[in-house]
Amino acid sequence: MRYVLVYSGMKSSLDNLYEMSLLADFYGALLSQRQQDVLRLYHEENCSLQEIAEELGISRQGVHEALKKAEKSLRDYEAKLGLVVRFQSQEQVLHSARESVNALLADCGDPKVRQGLLALKNDIDSIEEQV
Amino acid sequence: MVKIRLRRMGAHKKPFYRVVVADQRTARDGKSIEEIGTYDPLKNPAEINIDAEAAKKWLANGAVPTDTCRALLKKAGILE
Repeated sequence: MRYVLVYSGMKSSLDNLYEMSLLADFYGALLSQRQQDVLRLYHEENCSLQEIAEELGISRQGVHEALKKAEKSLRDYEAKLGLVVRFQSQEQVLHSARESVNALLADCGDPKVRQGLLALKNDIDSIEEQV
Repeated sequence: MVKIRLRRMGAHKKPFYRVVVADQRTARDGKSIEEIGTYDPLKNPAEINIDAEAAKKWLANGAVPTDTCRALLKKAGILE
């Protein structure tokens, strides 16, 4: 299979998709079941409003309103609680900690120090699981 | 109608997407005809891997990308 590899840092509908998926992971449980269904179909299954309307047996307008309301709620929760921002900065710190340990491991031949570094790496992994 | 859409995979708090070709009617039960790529927003910058030949083949055969997929295909240089 031939792949085309592309990197880009532009803000787009793709970033919105990612942002909403992440917000839903953190605060989704606070929304109504209907709103959760709409969010999941729209952002995770990439369905159109019309497809969601048919799936849930409501009007397209109804889906649109549920979606906008749900997205607004998620943004409000994040503005007040900031869990996603905190999560992302913690991830960044853990990532750079792991890089530093890996760099040290690559240079270091002392078995005792290596053992310590590997233990440190395990600790970083278990912290990441808890974040 | 056959659609090209993104499907979320990946763990809780770690979104990761596959670009899949699926019949519109079977879209919600998770069945897809073919997987033609991936989109990983967690990489910085986001990483897009798409099988350009397969994408072009499906587009030529009338598969319709969702709006987000269209944006992705544009970024990958497959669509104008």
